[in-house]
Amino acid sequence: MSMPRVGIVSTSMTQLRPAWDSAQHIDLISAVVLDVFKGTGLTLDDVDFIIDSGSDVLDGRSISNCGFLGALGAHHKEEARVEEDGLWAALYGVNKIRAGSSSVGLIVAYSKPSESRDIDLYWGSMVEPFYQRPVGFGQKAALGMQAQRYFAAHGIKDTDAAALVARRWAAAAEGGQVAIDAVPDADTVLASAEAAAPLTDLMISRPVDGAVAMLLSTEDIAVRLGRAPAIITGIGTSMETHAFSARSANQLESVAKAAAMAGAKAGWKPSEADVAEVSASSAVGELLVLEGLGLADAGKGLDAAMSDKVNRSGGALPADPLMATGLVRLAEAYRQLSQPHPGADAPRRAVVHGTGGVAMQTNCVFTLEV
Amino acid sequence: MFAAPETYKHDLPTFHSQISMPYTLTPGRAAGTFLAEMPNRRIVGSRFPGGMVIAPAQDFSPVDGEEPEALVQVPESGVLTAFTRVGGVVIGLIRLDGCANEFPHRILADLDVLSVGQRVAAQWSDGDEGTSITAIKGFVLAPEAPEGKVTDLADPAEPLGVIDYSMSLDFEHAYGPYYGRMFDEIREHGRIIGIRTSNGEDALLPPREVDDITHKRTGTWKACGNTGTIRGCSIINMEILGQSRKPPYVYAEIVLDGASTRMIHVIEIDDLESAKEKIRPGTRVRAIWTDGERQGRVSDIDRFEVIED
Repeated sequence: MSMPRVGIVSTSMTQLRPAWDSAQHIDLISAVVLDVFKGTGLTLDDVDFIIDSGSDVLDGRSISNCGFLGALGAHHKEEARVEEDGLWAALYGVNKIRAGSSSVGLIVAYSKPSESRDIDLYWGSMVEPFYQRPVGFGQKAALGMQAQRYFAAHGIKDTDAAALVARRWAAAAEGGQVAIDAVPDADTVLASAEAAAPLTDLMISRPVDGAVAMLLSTEDIAVRLGRAPAIITGIGTSMETHAFSARSANQLESVAKAAAMAGAKAGWKPSEADVAEVSASSAVGELLVLEGLGLADAGKGLDAAMSDKVNRSGGALPADPLMATGLVRLAEAYRQLSQPHPGADAPRRAVVHGTGGVAMQTNCVFTLEV
Repeated sequence: MFAAPETYKHDLPTFHSQISMPYTLTPGRAAGTFLAEMPNRRIVGSRFPGGMVIAPAQDFSPVDGEEPEALVQVPESGVLTAFTRVGGVVIGLIRLDGCANEFPHRILADLDVLSVGQRVAAQWSDGDEGTSITAIKGFVLAPEAPEGKVTDLADPAEPLGVIDYSMSLDFEHAYGPYYGRMFDEIREHGRIIGIRTSNGEDALLPPREVDDITHKRTGTWKACGNTGTIRGCSIINMEILGQSRKPPYVYAEIVLDGASTRMIHVIEIDDLESAKEKIRPGTRVRAIWTDGERQGRVSDIDRFEVIED
């Protein structure tokens, strides 16, 4: 018996805000779980399992998902939590359905980084305590050195990175899913405070609060629901070594490996995608991802980044709900494939990317098709 | 999508919490020796079969996981391979002479004068940094520094066994409209309000938008009683980290009158024997509120007391 194909049936997302201070995790989670069923014909009774994604360290409590089970709709259901970005939760769900043990899965990712008084400590908890933490090495330092090397190697300027950031914020503002007071132009990006030279604050992805839910099902069930589903045709993951200094400079090899794995399953290359929704921890990180995906040659990520098919949603730079960002990318790609702009050539293929860890240590790539 | 109902507005600011964890970290032989040698102002690396040296010392090769054949003393000079500045502190990657790897440390120079490939040398701290890697204050530009050599580590110090460590994280948790309203009521009126289940009269405590069991929207607000029934309990007679009062006392799961869920609180006891006699599932209890100003917290109820027949 061949393994069933798995499709996305529905997604739901809260607005992504710098701080959802009027709501706690369960408020955001129950909102998207209630909403994700609307219009599908499915109910919670149809859901065979729930996989969720979040971080105990960010949530400020151990095994935080246990406190969220009711909001997740997981009462007396099979539930598991992935302590990785939400795209890995989707990976887990796809594999459960393909393995034949289930036919409908609910995937949820949530994030409230605004509740951490110092988000750098969250990142600091990921680095080594004897040699790295005492000297101030952490996420920002790693992203700064990544950018310093990339700029030097390819003659890219901070003005280039600023233009990319401004473009992403403008796209996010247009999309309406991200709370934005004022869209920064490139000069504003450059003038924002130094985060990790040569990166300014706005060149580092902005942590935001939010929750996202997604229903996955076998293709059979998805088709019965009356709308052509978006099928997940390829998945790949790969991880860099933990030691940032031991990684190859100016490339994210694990993105290339994950992309090759996903592309081999899908039968086409990410560079052939009509839509790319990618995560990143910084502007330079996004360029490295695009190059890793094969959308641009080394050092030419900026050309791909300025293409209309990349991060139409704005990507992670204006809105990075840590641990949910990759699932947000998948939801955005699904929306672009299933609800294309009228008049335009409807996109049929999307490549989606999620990441996690210090300086984007771990990477996951999905291919999605209608 | 989610919008806090205006009718459930609350006045409470965020709830501050702190997770403060004590640890004893085990550095292992290589890092333990490196750190133990910091007061001796020697930088320890690992040499692997085939001759590759890495510093700071590691118990396993970053390339293939092999164990080192020896710990060695590495030079204090090297080259800068990357740099940034975070919070005014310049941090760079350094490859020490004779070593195959790079590692991060502070660079004691202005960012503007740095370029990849510059020669750098360790500057030791003037103060007593003990066995921390910060005994190396940082690396200064040293264009004239001669190429150093890796040497044997003569009379290595005993590796550190365990290192006391602590990590503390501060949070500002949002209450949200449901918990917020409940804690407001506790503070303002000294009463506990829950919210009716989606399909019944009993109240969920704490209140929430969606009923956990039915996953339908919950009903209307309801004040629960000041009295309730123990549904689960344990006599705590052991001191543990994080206790808010001195043992012995009873940890109890209490269903307040009018509620369907258990709330966790404590019952003070005089002695173990009478507690065993009186306190058990089914025992009726009453909330005793604090005498002081209510803060809008569960601890505004000081304790529960058994209702004597």
